[in-house]
Amino acid sequence: MIEILSASALATVQDLGRVGALRWGVGTSGAMDPLALAAGNILLGNDEGAAAVEVPVFPFRVRFAQDCAFAVTGADVAARLDDEPVLPWWCTQARAGQVLNLGLPQGGTWRGSRAYLCLAGGVEVQAVLGSRSTQLRGAFGGHEGRALRQGDTLPIGISKAEPRSTDFGLVPPALALPLQVDGLPAVRVLPAAEYTRYSEASRAAFWSEPWKITAQSDRYGYRLAGTPLEAVSALEMRSHGIVPGVIQVPPGGQPIVQMRDAQPSGGYPKLGTVIEADLWRLGQAPIGSRVRFIETNWDDAVAAMAQTRRWLDEARRLVDLRRSQRGGR
Amino acid sequence: MSGDQGSISLLGTSALLFEAPGSMALHSQQRIWALAREAESWPEVREAVPGMNNLMLSFAQAPRALGELEARLHAAWGVAEPLPLEGRVVELPVVYGGAGGPHIGDVVAHTGMSIDEIVERHSAPLYPVYALGSHPGYCYLGGMDPRIATPRRKVPVVSIPGGAVSIGGAQTGVSASEGPSGWNTIGSTSMRFFDPAQDPPALLRPGDSIRFRVEKVIR
Amino acid sequence: MMNSNSDRVRQLSDWLGGTDIARLELRGPGESICLQREGGRIVVAPDEPALDAQAPSVAATAASVGVFLHRHPLRDSAIAETGTTVRSGQIVGLLQIGALLLPVTSPCDGVVAAMLLEHGATAGYGTRLVELHPSSTTS
Repeated sequence: MIEILSASALATVQDLGRVGALRWGVGTSGAMDPLALAAGNILLGNDEGAAAVEVPVFPFRVRFAQDCAFAVTGADVAARLDDEPVLPWWCTQARAGQVLNLGLPQGGTWRGSRAYLCLAGGVEVQAVLGSRSTQLRGAFGGHEGRALRQGDTLPIGISKAEPRSTDFGLVPPALALPLQVDGLPAVRVLPAAEYTRYSEASRAAFWSEPWKITAQSDRYGYRLAGTPLEAVSALEMRSHGIVPGVIQVPPGGQPIVQMRDAQPSGGYPKLGTVIEADLWRLGQAPIGSRVRFIETNWDDAVAAMAQTRRWLDEARRLVDLRRSQRGGR
Repeated sequence: MSGDQGSISLLGTSALLFEAPGSMALHSQQRIWALAREAESWPEVREAVPGMNNLMLSFAQAPRALGELEARLHAAWGVAEPLPLEGRVVELPVVYGGAGGPHIGDVVAHTGMSIDEIVERHSAPLYPVYALGSHPGYCYLGGMDPRIATPRRKVPVVSIPGGAVSIGGAQTGVSASEGPSGWNTIGSTSMRFFDPAQDPPALLRPGDSIRFRVEKVIR
Repeated sequence: MMNSNSDRVRQLSDWLGGTDIARLELRGPGESICLQREGGRIVVAPDEPALDAQAPSVAATAASVGVFLHRHPLRDSAIAETGTTVRSGQIVGLLQIGALLLPVTSPCDGVVAAMLLEHGATAGYGTRLVELHPSSTTS
């Protein structure tokens, strides 16, 4: 079990998301950076989809009530276990009673905004509709369907990994799979149904200009600031299904990228969709930072998913090899 | 592809969207239900999720041969027979206006009608449940009187409670839980639309119908 | 190539005797010789440590082939700066094998003396990576 020591954090229990419930109006939720969550689980010998704690606001402190191996992936948050520094993207053994402190995101080469506290055995809250992700709107899933508060305790599952296989790490995908345009993080976008209803000038601005992630951005959606995008004629749409990554343009012309807690349906015009393989990059882009959009096509978007799949498979292969070499040490 | 065939577009690599041709109609929605039932058995499809005269197919795995899937979807639409899906009628008592209907004044201003006229026109029809979406248990309803249509708000409201009865454009709906909304809230009802412990967790499904019963009007 | 140590000392002493040099220190891997004049003779002198050297030194070595890193890829500063005190088992560098990062740990309590391989250079099995001076409390 771990105990939350921080007073306020917006931290939630997430796994890779809840699928198959769109028919009831239930969106996927899940980690904003699923690659970091999966990698943390791989380091610990968990299934990729084991639940972890997503931490978007810092500092954040927890106490281990039991011996437990853990890994902090995502943003480098200068983690410390009691007084000892802990490397990012590294699995470490914690002993009962130790306190883990996550500080502010740091980094020169790359700075993320969300950290994932992964635990050997996973966060073992009750699964609801097939997932342990927190569904904030419906107030179910995760830990009591809400953000974590001081004093909350989270149960830890039984780890399938060999005991004490710790002290190694992974090179983060932000470095292994970089994507930038003009020095800014970039994500690939497939045009959506209303793409051609936007003026040529607006479309050109969308692809060529940086977009700032405003402070009104969160797990529901990222509100971007930039050149107002204008449709050629007014568009009043019928409500239709959407997915995380869909870029809606409400009146006013400032685009909103729907993120993991977005409604599963909407009625605003859609300019494009950030491809699934790049959503983690956006999920790590800090408030106030700027991003660029890259136009892509179906084949390249599918290839991008295959690339992240290969990265995960290779990480698993290397970690398993390391575990088997160390034996019971 | 558009015109009589309807149009297909991509939602990234996660899903595709099929828009039925023509204007919003129950007949089209019944064909969408039929199309959903056909498509949900396809190996590429994780879920076939009806919207308002449209259908989203979420992918179990992004299909390599996208063109083939699109052709198959167009063909299936071509032969889709309206699925009547006669369901239950659920009656919801509604308190119109007052604190639970903070935007009824905006509907009055836009339509030029009185509160009583709006209440009468809103509560008259039997509303078929076209689709679920937006948030857990939320039902998109067809059949609203176009005379009380009021555009979505320019600035969405940060929080309206569960049970809020609202008008957005030509549609009406009832929120199933507290959350933000860009629609105009004209009344409130107490009803539990979603319970994750139940199977199925949603109270209503496409094909059911809702009738709003006027419990009270606060002017 | 090498004579026995005593032959070498005698050769050096003879040579030194023919000069004005008062003291000669020779250091190499695993050896050090110190000769000085006392009175009219050349004698082997007690070894005076150089100002910045402590003896002996040990090294953390590579447990496999990999790329030696002084700092974590996400960070700008070294994991173990030279001159810092470390404990036995403490991480003093990283060895990268593809996506995997392995710890390079200090074999002793002591002080980090030098990085023996450049950041980003390839190490082989057994390559000496970090030189450490053990603290006096260890045997």
